[in-house]
Amino acid sequence: MEEAVIDSIQSRGLWYRIRAYFSRNLINIFAGALFALLAIFLLYPIGAVLVKSLWGDEGFTLEFYQEFFTFRVYYESLYNTLILGTVTMIILVVVGFCFAYLTTRGPLWLRKPLKIVALLPLAAPPYIFAISSITLLGRNGFINNLFNLDFNIYSWTGVITAQCLAFLPLSFMMIENVLNSLNPSLEETASDMGASEFRIIRSITIPLCAPGLLKAALLVFVMTIAEFGNPAILGGRIPFLAPDTYLAITGEGDINLASVLSVVLITPCVLIFILHNYVLRGKGYTTIVGKPTAVEPKEMATGIKIPFMIISLFVGIMVLMSFGVILLGAFVKIVGVDNTFVMDHVLNMQSNIAIWNSIKVSLGAGLFGAIVGTLLAYVIMRGKFHGKHIMEMVALSGFALPGTVIGVGYIIAFNRPPFLLTGTIWILILNCVFRFLAVGVEAGISKLHQISIEIEEASADLGADFLTVFFKVVLPLMFSAFIAGFIYTFMTTMMSLSSVIFLVTPGFDLASVYIYLTAQLGELGLASAATMKVIAIVAISLGILKIVSKKIRLDVGKKQGA
Amino acid sequence: MEDNKKPMVELRDIFKSFGDVEVLKGISARIDKGELLTFVGPSGCGKTTLLRIVGGFTTATSGQVILDGEDIGGLPPNMRDTRMVFQSYALFPHMTVEKNIGFGLKLKKWPKKKIDGRVEELLSLVHMEGLGGRTIDRISGGQQQRVALARALALEPKVLLLDEPLSNLDANLRVAMREELRSIQERIGVTAIFVTHDQYEAMSISDRVLVLNDGVIQQIGSPMEIYEQPANKFIAGFVGYVNFLEGTVDAIYEDTLTSSVSTEYGKLDLDHYQEDIKVGDEILLVVRPETVTLSPSHGKENQNTFHGMVESHMYAGNLSKYTVKFGDREMIVDQYNPRDSEHFKRNDKVKVTIPRSVHVLKKKVNPFPIS
Repeated sequence: MEEAVIDSIQSRGLWYRIRAYFSRNLINIFAGALFALLAIFLLYPIGAVLVKSLWGDEGFTLEFYQEFFTFRVYYESLYNTLILGTVTMIILVVVGFCFAYLTTRGPLWLRKPLKIVALLPLAAPPYIFAISSITLLGRNGFINNLFNLDFNIYSWTGVITAQCLAFLPLSFMMIENVLNSLNPSLEETASDMGASEFRIIRSITIPLCAPGLLKAALLVFVMTIAEFGNPAILGGRIPFLAPDTYLAITGEGDINLASVLSVVLITPCVLIFILHNYVLRGKGYTTIVGKPTAVEPKEMATGIKIPFMIISLFVGIMVLMSFGVILLGAFVKIVGVDNTFVMDHVLNMQSNIAIWNSIKVSLGAGLFGAIVGTLLAYVIMRGKFHGKHIMEMVALSGFALPGTVIGVGYIIAFNRPPFLLTGTIWILILNCVFRFLAVGVEAGISKLHQISIEIEEASADLGADFLTVFFKVVLPLMFSAFIAGFIYTFMTTMMSLSSVIFLVTPGFDLASVYIYLTAQLGELGLASAATMKVIAIVAISLGILKIVSKKIRLDVGKKQGA
Repeated sequence: MEDNKKPMVELRDIFKSFGDVEVLKGISARIDKGELLTFVGPSGCGKTTLLRIVGGFTTATSGQVILDGEDIGGLPPNMRDTRMVFQSYALFPHMTVEKNIGFGLKLKKWPKKKIDGRVEELLSLVHMEGLGGRTIDRISGGQQQRVALARALALEPKVLLLDEPLSNLDANLRVAMREELRSIQERIGVTAIFVTHDQYEAMSISDRVLVLNDGVIQQIGSPMEIYEQPANKFIAGFVGYVNFLEGTVDAIYEDTLTSSVSTEYGKLDLDHYQEDIKVGDEILLVVRPETVTLSPSHGKENQNTFHGMVESHMYAGNLSKYTVKFGDREMIVDQYNPRDSEHFKRNDKVKVTIPRSVHVLKKKVNPFPIS
């Protein structure tokens, strides 16, 4: 073959070469920048906590851990936290199973209302149940007064009840998902062979769902041990890790001890995370068939239906009652004691300022969270660099880590240059952005799964450089994920307490912190009114999300392809 | 004519590995201006990877891609004069048909008027006049295919790359679109590389076919060459059915360019002469089922005839497919069905006549491809 004179890229101008380089590598440059953000706002604070737990005035030391394991009040909090997690987990798996079984296999008329009740707590901050149970069963509680009882809600019973109600949606959703993905013909076959429904549940349904149930149980466990509000408000004298971390800082100003408590709280979370992701990954029989549950529901056996319904209705009524009590508490002087209608709680100035502050922070967090989340999802899905999985794990870790730990981390990390943020609104916003990043990232990733990569390749093929592809093609297609990320981050920030409570400054209260403080002071009317407003804002956001996701139907990307 | 022989794309010794897996092992080929070349091969043979290397979506581990005299190896897709029609069409779902077609023109900062004119021109080229304002989900699969083609042609690329563009269409539409695609390509004279796993599609649309297997070019040639003179056993078996007859060369007559061979079925006289085949060499005869003649066993004895028995008969409308048994060997024979043709039944005694022009392969086939 004749050797033609080849005009190679090397002979072109510098600018041409730079353009070619950027076109190829811009996504990696983006990835680098995002990783830097993750490192500063997630890895660094968490690392700082770890270091602080081992680093005293005279360098490396184990004395803080020694202190923790010497004093009963400290190590007991670990023990108590694990007990709380275990008990809540067991109760919630049972209750969640009853709810989910009824909504997937129960009578049709019951399915929808039961599902709504089971999911209702999602629209409220978890500590709503602490406030409502104090209103009902506290020292001056409505039921205590009515029946002249001397029930003490500031106890194990109180904490466990509130926790169970708060995390019911989580347990329910996961178990319902498992039950839904179980191939109905398996249960039908067993029934066909003459097995009773009880027998089917025992030897078909539960064994097949076991891995899924275990995953649900572990997640409930992690979330409950990390919860701050309920044990803090209802725990009374019982020590728990998350509230004790807060007390270690506010009460004793002992950042080293707070760090130790944080590390101790993280440990079970990390162990379970590893178990969840590496040991249980891919385990389970439920994914084999995606067909939804049998179209024609069978009549449930009475012996099963009745106990399942009793449990579900009992728990359901508690949920509804809690919401009712909050609504009532917002508008009457003292529920059950002085039932005169007042607007004082609702109109309270301090409360409204706190709500407004929360809205500002949540809007900021929602916006930044959606931007960072969308970009991260894009980079993780489309980038071609090593360490993508680590990046994804770090991005999602904020959600799995206890809020108190990240709160302590932010105090340590950002109270000195180069990142002096303490006392500003930015520390609150950034904290929530990176804690709740998982939702935006996950929404983005699942959206990108629907958009064929060929669409982006096509735009590059037609001459678009990376930024043009991103802004003209990717972003419009990911817009629904962006909105979802925005609204979810907004809502979770509105309700979040465990982390921001470390970071607020006295003059700048957030709604959740205000609710916590008023509840601690026994100002239940003020707490109820503020909680009600938070619920209203969350409910409106959910409504908007629903409308928006219906309006933005940009799901064509996948359909036109293979 | 001279102009058409200029190479538009040259692939020089392209290697590509994904981790430890080497998917392309030294691919060299040239695609002439205005030609439609098809990469065909079984799945996993590397054909799509090769196309993506030309388009710039994948970088070759080593080797050069020369486009119109320029080494474009280091350039990203947006800086190459190649345009791809994707398997999924990859139309932008948030844009109308017009916006999709005009996307590249807009990026090149064409004035709006000029874009509109060009888009109109392209819409009429692909027979979609008046549908420019539709959104992508409001047009059929075949129309999406046309839009994807128009979009790729908008900027008059030097090479059009087509990645299994017809695989999402149903069978009838596929044949129609194939013909239309070919006619548009010929009309505007664009150089094109077409990728498919469908041998018949490759045969019917191409000027030349490049058969890949296992990362190596097996043969490049016109569809006729590929079918009638396959370079090796793989190619012979890849396109259409084939009966392989093993044999040895008994004699070669250089004066008449003929030879005689003995096969497992019997002796044959062939109009065949190939310089590298010598007396005593083991060979393979490539006997296509439709090239042999089937006739009743009685009657006049012909040259190159073997006697056998019908094992099975399958009537398929335009042809009858027979399996004829010779002892423990079988041969597939296709007979096209003229009205009055004789049909054979199972266990009928028949004779099979092999044409003198049958294609011959050396048995120990050169592992390197013949181009």
